Amino acid sequence: MITTTALTKSYKKVPVVRDVSLRCEPGTITGFLGGNGAGKSTTMKMIVGLVRPDRGTATIDGRPFVELPNPTRVVGTLLDASAMHPGRSGRATLTIAARMAGVHTRRVEHLLDLVGLADAAEKRVGTYSLGMRQRLGIAQALIGEPSALILDEPANGLDPEGIAWMRTLLRDFADHGGTVLLSSHLLHEVQATADHLVVISDGAVVTAGRLDDLLASSTILVRSPDPVALAAALQVARIDYVAGPGDALTVDVSGGRITTEVLASVARDHQVLLTELRQSETNGLEQLFFSLTAAKAATPQEAAA
Amino acid sequence: MTTSLSPRTLGIDATSSAPGPIPFSRLVRVEWSKATDTRAARWLLALLALSTAGMMLVPVLVPTSFDQTYASYLEVASIGQVILLPVVAILMFTGEWSQRSVMTTFTQEPRRIRVLNAKLAVSLLLGGGAAVFGGVVTGAGLGLAAASGRALEANLTVGAITGYLLYLLLNVLGGVAFGALLQNSAVAIAAYFTLNPAVALLGTVSTLVADWIDTATTWNWVLENDWAGHVPQISFSIVFWVAVPLAAGVVRTIRRDVG
Repeated sequence: MITTTALTKSYKKVPVVRDVSLRCEPGTITGFLGGNGAGKSTTMKMIVGLVRPDRGTATIDGRPFVELPNPTRVVGTLLDASAMHPGRSGRATLTIAARMAGVHTRRVEHLLDLVGLADAAEKRVGTYSLGMRQRLGIAQALIGEPSALILDEPANGLDPEGIAWMRTLLRDFADHGGTVLLSSHLLHEVQATADHLVVISDGAVVTAGRLDDLLASSTILVRSPDPVALAAALQVARIDYVAGPGDALTVDVSGGRITTEVLASVARDHQVLLTELRQSETNGLEQLFFSLTAAKAATPQEAAA
Repeated sequence: MTTSLSPRTLGIDATSSAPGPIPFSRLVRVEWSKATDTRAARWLLALLALSTAGMMLVPVLVPTSFDQTYASYLEVASIGQVILLPVVAILMFTGEWSQRSVMTTFTQEPRRIRVLNAKLAVSLLLGGGAAVFGGVVTGAGLGLAAASGRALEANLTVGAITGYLLYLLLNVLGGVAFGALLQNSAVAIAAYFTLNPAVALLGTVSTLVADWIDTATTWNWVLENDWAGHVPQISFSIVFWVAVPLAAGVVRTIRRDVG
């Protein structure tokens, strides 16, 4: 179980993480989704005591990480696969981790096999590709037989086969009662791996919940030959909408109050002709995520213009 | 990547009791490995050994310029060591920040003071090892000198040995303190090797600096086992070069966000 309460951190008065509260249950994989610089890594580093929060707390199995007597036996971490000594071999790196955890060095060979690095074990980490370093990092995270994993962008640098392998591994870990918190800036990656989701933007959680719930279609697309009249009708009925795609309008129905029937009634009452009325194909989560990341991506361009 | 990718036992055992804290002896052994298991570390230690042995040839080959005594030979042995030992010590404390592997180390043992203590213990062990090596090389050098039919004063006193050992350890501690405080290899090495000569330069105009801060004076008293009347000056030098920067370095290491 990984829990955080109102974690908050600023660097030089610029807020990086704001009131982030998470709860990762045993047996689940929680995806921590956000664009670059959204505050995912800083949050994870606060959970494992590498960064001191300005406010808030984080616990693993009810205890702050820094109070765990031998943390790698409880929670495995992979925060930055490039932060390994390049002059040490993969096997030596894992052997150090095994000795710190106090597990038998037999486990080093087992994990080298598991992550597919047995043939490269004697090579120096400096010669590894990013994907190989990710595999070594995953092995290092697993070395102490932990019951929880905290992984920052573990799919980075992995080839498609490696990504599929990692998904299977994490699912297996969770199915055996493990707790997984993994971050990603790619929605489809999280969708394919996680069963719980926390979306973070500008340091704050914008939405969280079960993936299935969040993925349930939550918008309706309405199209009329006279979009101006349609928009006016929706405004009168106090129904929020956004323009697009094309000349259609998209209505957020996540509250459950608005259905296709409600919209059809509004159109009839205002004598607006509808040519299309259906559940949107793109789900609300995707729209939310794209609007968040698009807004972030647009900012520097506007600044440059 | 021909190995099977299918995960088997992941070893999750939610019922296992939490294991005890990491014993300090284990931290020391791990830090010892880290300090000696990379190619760069081995080159540095080999260079340390070679320079110690190489320096020893000087009084053997140029006998007129050196007292042919054990103490004098030990001083020669220390010349290269007090340049390289602080570098070894600095790298012990800065290397993991530069490689960013502190991220791993401090998640393995979040009580950072214990990691620092283990690194300090390994630094002192390496310093002690260098002293033993220097003593052996010195013995060999004197043996060579004696074989050449030279008149020697083989006056090996306990004072000469402890003075040499303490002198090396003080230089190690100076490196430890700078490494712990500055946490960047290049900056710490540059600072260590510019501040010392700068103080020595100041010492030429101020006897106060020369007698109390310049390690070329104060720590040389330690090397020469010349403590009489110098204890306050030596102590002040240790506070200035070791105690204060090390204390500040411990605080900074414990508080620093690892990014």
